[in-house]
Amino acid sequence: MREGARSGLEVVLVDIWEGTEPRPEVERFCEMWGIKGPILLDPAGELATTLGVRGVPTNVVVDSDGTIRAFGAARLDELEQAIDDLYGRA
Amino acid sequence: MAATGEREDPAFPVGAACRIDSRSPWRQVAEIPVGLDPEGIAVDVARRRAFVACSRSDFVSVVDLDKHEVVAEIQTGAEPIDIGLDVQTGRVFTADAHSDQVTVIDSATLEVETALPVGGYPSGLTHVPEFRRLYVGNSLGSTMSVIDLDTLETVATVDAEPGAGAIGVDPTRGLVICVNFVAASANFYDAGSFEEVGRLELGTGTCAIGIVPERGEAFIVNSIAGTVSLVDLDAIEVVDETRTGQAPVGLTVAPAHDRIYVTNRGAGTLSVLGVADRQEWSQIPVGNGPGGVVVDPYDGRIFVANAGSQTVSIVEDLLAAKPPAPVVEEASPWLGNKLPSFALEDYRTGERRTNRDWAEKKYILNFFASW
Repeated sequence: MREGARSGLEVVLVDIWEGTEPRPEVERFCEMWGIKGPILLDPAGELATTLGVRGVPTNVVVDSDGTIRAFGAARLDELEQAIDDLYGRA
Repeated sequence: MAATGEREDPAFPVGAACRIDSRSPWRQVAEIPVGLDPEGIAVDVARRRAFVACSRSDFVSVVDLDKHEVVAEIQTGAEPIDIGLDVQTGRVFTADAHSDQVTVIDSATLEVETALPVGGYPSGLTHVPEFRRLYVGNSLGSTMSVIDLDTLETVATVDAEPGAGAIGVDPTRGLVICVNFVAASANFYDAGSFEEVGRLELGTGTCAIGIVPERGEAFIVNSIAGTVSLVDLDAIEVVDETRTGQAPVGLTVAPAHDRIYVTNRGAGTLSVLGVADRQEWSQIPVGNGPGGVVVDPYDGRIFVANAGSQTVSIVEDLLAAKPPAPVVEEASPWLGNKLPSFALEDYRTGERRTNRDWAEKKYILNFFASW
């Protein structure tokens, strides 16, 4: 995520599968981890289901034309590679 | 209870002698709804029940293993995460993270017997019948509580490190190992004196451990690093690292000690790893966001707690040995395709946000849950 910030790449968090009212849980989570930036609520996991997300964390890297360039990338090295690929860096 | 995926198949009865299956290396038996954010599981072989610690519901779901349904819910302290059953006393123990206690439940009557104070935010526990001891990892307290299984007295509180949680014990070597999630480390103690005899730096997010005493090996899961470390217990050193699926968090050793099972929270799968070759033999689909995993000694079936689905999956690993072909993870069919339209509420502003808000920008959607 830090790599994303350095690249000017926006990271949009999507909260899913809380099983209960998500707002207090998200508030506690953001406080604990010092999370800033946009957070979207998908309590029923509809977007996650559409995309076939089956676990957390799952990162979906989206290009400027809306094309999905990477999916999953939970490990830091995978995410860094996905960002490098997105920007055409070797 | 309806099963997901492949159904119970009378042509493939349960048992070690029936583990060769030319059609599929695994079989899904059932997926059972339980409470919110299920994490730890313990199996009562004699009564054919499973106890599931449901951390967001503050109770234990009791599952009938023949009917595949929940038959009782037992209130615990706040946020029960891990769980264990001592057969000799018939006691079930839960580590209640937000209450700084261990709840003790009578597995026969399903009544709470008592609650034992421990250190701050207990998140992992292990009991060792040979030693008559229960070990509890206290994450915020950075300690390990040691409790007598019979008298329920705390006999020691041992310094560990931040994020102390999962604990492994090697009775053969008299070693107790406390795994520390935040410190990304493990402390090794003499089981008798609790003197620290070793320490290891591990991968980021260490959170589960399994021991194979006859090989002198421990397997430790590093969730954020996405690896499993192999530790030589005689030398107390990491000798190998294996990658699994995305965000591994749970681990148990198969009864035959020839393989371990690792839940991949980021992938919704269970990895089967060979103990001797450290290769991934297969990946078994389970529910969303899997965590806790145990094997039923009665029939070898594997139970997985799925925090995202709020279910317990029961699956069978039908591999007799390492398969000839390596595991190949299938890429998402969405790769190279357009992100579908979405309209979701913004937590901070309450407004509906859609794809259009990020039009012509590069961005990452990071799906997460607070558990």
